[in-house]
Amino acid sequence: MKNILDKKFYVMLLGLLFFAPACTDLEEELYSDVTDENFFQTDDEFISALGGAYSSFYGIGNHSNLWSSNELSSDELVVTHKGGDWYDGGILLALHDHTWTPDNGFFNNTWGFLYGGINTCNRLIAQFGALESENSAAYVNELRAIRAIFYMWAMDAFGNIPLVVGFSDDVPKNDANFQTGRTAVYNFVASELTEVVTTLDAQVGGNAYARVNQATAYAALAKLYLNAEVYTGTPKWTEAKAAVDAIEAFGSYSLAGDYKSNFSIENSGSTENIFVVPYDKVFAGGFNWVMMTLAYPSANVFELTEQPWNGYSTVEEFYNSYIDTVNNPGPVVAQWRGLAEFDPAGDLKTPNGRGTNDLRISNFLVGPQLTPAGTIAEDPAFDADDPDGTGLNFTPAINEIQPNGHRQAGARIGKYAYEQGGTANMSNDFVVFRWGDMKLVRAEANHRLGNSAAALAEVNEIRARAGVTAFTVLTDENLLAERGREMFAELSRRQDLIRFGKFTEGAAWWAKESSDAKYNVFPIPQPQIDVNSSLTQNPGY
Amino acid sequence: MLLSTSLLFLMLSAWAQRTVTGQVTSSDDGSAIPGVNVVLKGTTSGTITDFDGNYRLEVPEAGGTLVFTFIGLLSQQTVIGSRSIIDVSMDSDLAELDEIVVTGYGTQEKKEVTSAVTSVKAKDFNRGMVNNPVQLIQGKVGGLTVVKPGGDPNGNYTLRLRGVSTFGANASPLIVIDGVIGGSLNTVDPNDIASMDVLKDGSAAAIYGSRGSAGVIIITTKTGKIGKATVEYNGSIAFENVANSIEFMDAAEYRALPGAVDLGSTTDWLDEVTDTGVSQIHNVSLSGGTESTTYRASVNVRDVTGVGINSGYDQINTRLNLTQKALNDRMKINVNLSLTSKDSEYGFKESFRYAIAGNPTLPVRQDANANGVTAGPETGGYAERDIYDFYNPVSISEQNINNGTDLRLLGSAKIDYDFSDFVDGLSAAVFFSEQRQTDERGQYYAKTSKFVGAGPNGNGGRSFQGQENKLFETTFNYNKVIGGTDLTFLAGYSYQEFFNEGFSMSGSDFLTDAFTYNNMGASLDFPNGLGSVSSYANSNKLIAFFGRVNLNFSDNYFVSASVRQEGSSRFGADNKWGMFPAVSAGVNLDNILNISGVDQLKLRASFGITGAQPGESYLSLRRYGPSGSFYYGGAYVPSYGPQSNPNPDLKWEEKAEIDFGVDFSVMNGKLSGSFDWYKRTTSDLLFLIDVPVPPNLYSQTWKNVGEMTNTGIEITLNYDVVNNGTFSYSTGLNFATFKTIIDKLEVSPLYQGAMGAPGQSATRLSRVVVGEELGQIWLPVYDKPDPATGSPLMKDLNGDGVDCACNEDRALAGNGLPDFTVGWNNSLSFGNFDLNIFFRGAFGHDILNSYRGFYENYGGTEIANWNIVKGPGLDPELKGALVNDTHVEAGDFIKLDNATLGYTLPIGDNNVGFRNMRIFLSIQNAFVLTGYSGIDPEVRYIDIEGNNALAPGIERRNTYFTTRTVSAGINIGF
Repeated sequence: MKNILDKKFYVMLLGLLFFAPACTDLEEELYSDVTDENFFQTDDEFISALGGAYSSFYGIGNHSNLWSSNELSSDELVVTHKGGDWYDGGILLALHDHTWTPDNGFFNNTWGFLYGGINTCNRLIAQFGALESENSAAYVNELRAIRAIFYMWAMDAFGNIPLVVGFSDDVPKNDANFQTGRTAVYNFVASELTEVVTTLDAQVGGNAYARVNQATAYAALAKLYLNAEVYTGTPKWTEAKAAVDAIEAFGSYSLAGDYKSNFSIENSGSTENIFVVPYDKVFAGGFNWVMMTLAYPSANVFELTEQPWNGYSTVEEFYNSYIDTVNNPGPVVAQWRGLAEFDPAGDLKTPNGRGTNDLRISNFLVGPQLTPAGTIAEDPAFDADDPDGTGLNFTPAINEIQPNGHRQAGARIGKYAYEQGGTANMSNDFVVFRWGDMKLVRAEANHRLGNSAAALAEVNEIRARAGVTAFTVLTDENLLAERGREMFAELSRRQDLIRFGKFTEGAAWWAKESSDAKYNVFPIPQPQIDVNSSLTQNPGY
Repeated sequence: MLLSTSLLFLMLSAWAQRTVTGQVTSSDDGSAIPGVNVVLKGTTSGTITDFDGNYRLEVPEAGGTLVFTFIGLLSQQTVIGSRSIIDVSMDSDLAELDEIVVTGYGTQEKKEVTSAVTSVKAKDFNRGMVNNPVQLIQGKVGGLTVVKPGGDPNGNYTLRLRGVSTFGANASPLIVIDGVIGGSLNTVDPNDIASMDVLKDGSAAAIYGSRGSAGVIIITTKTGKIGKATVEYNGSIAFENVANSIEFMDAAEYRALPGAVDLGSTTDWLDEVTDTGVSQIHNVSLSGGTESTTYRASVNVRDVTGVGINSGYDQINTRLNLTQKALNDRMKINVNLSLTSKDSEYGFKESFRYAIAGNPTLPVRQDANANGVTAGPETGGYAERDIYDFYNPVSISEQNINNGTDLRLLGSAKIDYDFSDFVDGLSAAVFFSEQRQTDERGQYYAKTSKFVGAGPNGNGGRSFQGQENKLFETTFNYNKVIGGTDLTFLAGYSYQEFFNEGFSMSGSDFLTDAFTYNNMGASLDFPNGLGSVSSYANSNKLIAFFGRVNLNFSDNYFVSASVRQEGSSRFGADNKWGMFPAVSAGVNLDNILNISGVDQLKLRASFGITGAQPGESYLSLRRYGPSGSFYYGGAYVPSYGPQSNPNPDLKWEEKAEIDFGVDFSVMNGKLSGSFDWYKRTTSDLLFLIDVPVPPNLYSQTWKNVGEMTNTGIEITLNYDVVNNGTFSYSTGLNFATFKTIIDKLEVSPLYQGAMGAPGQSATRLSRVVVGEELGQIWLPVYDKPDPATGSPLMKDLNGDGVDCACNEDRALAGNGLPDFTVGWNNSLSFGNFDLNIFFRGAFGHDILNSYRGFYENYGGTEIANWNIVKGPGLDPELKGALVNDTHVEAGDFIKLDNATLGYTLPIGDNNVGFRNMRIFLSIQNAFVLTGYSGIDPEVRYIDIEGNNALAPGIERRNTYFTTRTVSAGINIGF
């Protein structure tokens, strides 16, 4: 009797133990992420997905990205090697004097920014395209226009690039045709923008603010055609002019009375800005110029929450292009806070002892930097051989590019107003396309097409707004210089110099000699070549 | 059964009887032992001793033989003769404990072990101020390196078994605490540990399958013994001082430099940021038990203060271990419970960095702005300079707080059931454990602290992290003897679930510093939209089926084979399951060949495959989450985008390892040792590697990227030089070599690590390349100072006419991983004195001294802003910082790791009831012999900036100074 009980008990116990291993389910359970299975369910979720494409633009205001690569390789901006600071393996000096190599990190960052945007659009076009929703067609066209803008920049920067329009995780191996050539990408951008432009939102401002609307697509086309000869060998001046005309036809854009209002902290009301990246220190960070250009003690001038990096300053020659002692010898006017009042009599505190009437001098911060208390910010790290002492004073002159560039040397970027008490992330909206630029595009097209009077008139509109006297004649030289003054730090100078043949061969500026024509395009980033057997390096690198 | 006993009793009582009484005591300390089995040999007549060790037994008039048995003591037999009082003193069976090796899911006798396993028992543990269990075996196990560069009391130890076994997956050995897989070391106090067993080779670790690749350390805690209740107290006090920092200029030397900025004071920053750390440790344990129940409970209190001002912790740990038998002893239930609460002050390592880099003429405090110094109420009275990359190091540590509270709970229950009456040799067990860890953190940077706080007007942060680890296992054991062959089978199922969650917030802009981080709602960042709040949760699962068979052919030949079929939720749908087999064999040649003078000679060979899974969940899935905001319809709305590149093809990283070993003992056990040679090949290495964009969205993906091979030998020798009763001296040596070659890599070369700001962020430091050793430090090669500017010039190595400042124009400057390590132990005893001296060293590794790469030059910036490091390469002509090959130094070192002198008080019999009393004096890190000029020559397996295993050998600037600890303590038992 007892044995039977034992046996039953044992069999039951063993059975329990034996069947315990029933669970073999290894599905992953998610808590703080969503997947394809539970996303794209509501209208709001579709909109947020579309936002992925727009968020891709936020890299444009970062250090060592598309904007930095373009500006530092031009004659506008330089990051000097300041003693122990900013050497970084020489990559910044190489950008300035055109000795860069494919492993310079700026290029891989730029590539990642551009193709990150392109891939996001490819993904969303595939995902939205698969949905049978009323809105999805409109979204797809908007995404195609965004993708075209990223492709335009990528083709401009790197030349011969892969044209990928589908969405997959596959990498073609050893595919010699992976890179399609610059012309093919140019053609793709032109046809995509042309095809979708009329389907985009015609509205200007309002709900279309910071969205790729029709005017944005035309502006992109204008910039594309402006440089068509560089990209394909065939100029498209007429098309460039037509694109600007199409923007004008909206009747909504005009030159702002005050140039610098386009770049103020609250610049969303500008009548001139066509497409912006709507940065915000709370919602949309990444616009970091305040850190990139200001000096360490500038934190006390602008009461910043973080210490700036003291990197970017203006090449003196470029700064001097605003100074016209013959035609516009006005005094230097006070700009925004932080730029001290100048002594009209002109002592050491005035840059080079000269002034200018060009209001666009507001593109820079120069001179002694005053704290809110009205005293000069003290800079304990001033260089012992800096002639103007410990007070923080940005002088346009830069003693040397390396190894001991003075910490306070060089006019700083003042284009976008800095917020008192600001953070590392600026709230100004970054201007990608604006009407002032478009007018100069049309002027240049007219100039090239021989319509000199129209060209001159339009350039002089820009000059008049800047408070400087009109040109009597338009030449390649003064047109390029005018574009430089107007478009400083607006992702334009490298393109302009290349288009005018003033970037590499035969072109020299401070601490940069004539360079090989291969530098007209950036190299395909080495890290990309290392991991992708289908990529071929650009010629000469 | 009952019936037969009664019959016997009746039969016996028919004979003439007499009574024998006596007391059983321990030969160790003379204490009475309750619960000892006393049996009349050849009969079932017997009894057990009572609480005072006394027994009383009826024996036949003719006498006979009494057999005394007790677990953990040597059995003893005594012929009764005509005596009626028989007192017995029993010896503890140390030999038996010594011969037991804990393996995965079981134990084995040492002679049966066929794989590379090193067992370290409590008596061989490191002594002195030991706060972390791994310190107990630091340097004691050949092939296991345990390092913690610098003397941070809250720092973590890096463990590597047989070198680097993986790139990106968990490279630390798996910790198993009393059966809890993945147990936290913080749940165990070093005083509660009975033994630590290190499973080194693939075959030993393969039973733990997916997590065995980096080896396994099995921790067994102390348990109660049947017998009289005992109380142990261990207490010690320790004094810790800075042992080594780095040579830099004092105020007078600095003032003499051209371009020195004299701020008028003379400050020894090193002295200002450090203090003698005084620590106390107290442990009390109670243990005891009866035949059916044993218990042990302990309380461990640690109050540790580091040398850095405001760094240290207070910890209390309690542990309870209960074992009870039931159902006629067929069932054994074991319950383990451990609770740890730790309050830490982490301090700020930046204060060390800026103590070294700080201008020595800057005063610590100053009343007002003067002299280029910012000071006054707005800096909290501390002297600051408005320059880049300098903060008053005393202000950093005194004005800001960085605290944490960690709770650890580990509970487990195991039920063993012996099915012998059903099927002979069959037993089964069910095991359940749950570990919970919660880490709370709080930081606050004062409004008056230039370091972080001043800019944002005070900054605070709170965070919480919780981890949960639940394990359920069932195992079956079956023993069978067939002929001369002893077979042991194990089969089991394991289900383990991990859940992690966290929450954090940080915000700035406070009206007052009074709240610190305790009133985060007072931060104006939240209403202004600038505060940050986040939370997360993730989980993963491991499910496994495993089995093992051990064969013992008449104690001469041994074979063990095992397999674990394991699945992890972390892989793609088709790659979740992996199989991890192992086989090993050994032969006891001494038994077979009977060589004279040889006590043991065992040859072993083993092969095993283990696995590794990635450290994150969901890597195979396309996941979406918030990615900023975008402007839509006149307002910001959230953008959602993919969080990473998914890799549905992600699969197990596998390591196959062969090991050949010899264990020997000669000269009657005076000389013993072992030798092992291993080769391990890790394939499908998991790593976050660069991928092309397009088609990928992000530039890096977790992938299986390559293969590498480690080879090495391990030698352990123990020699009892003298042992004549009053004086004994024994010495032990362990030696291990390491070599790791990269066989395959998807992207080669890979450049890793970066020097950092100021000015050197783009300079890569390490290279990983196919066909060569892992651990390469890859740097520009120094030529000379530029005659014009004094800037350091580098050699043009690729012959293109210029130093291209690119990775190609660089060369191998050293290797961060060691060639071999040595541990040398010496134990002496003389009368009641005992002395233990332990040396530890690592050789063949190089270290990049980051301080030299930034501050060892006469550059105008360096002099004006910082201080100058007096390294071996200081050259008045050199006026600029640029890291290069000359900053890499050999890290070879040998240190007197620990010396402990103990004295056992001859208390004998006393009325108070003390059983034993010992006092000791100990010194840790007494001296280091090395040519390295930096802070600590210990091997750096991981680059602390970026937590990168592929950039070893870098001493970063935020390294806590090394310390020397002198401690004194007492052990009392009663």
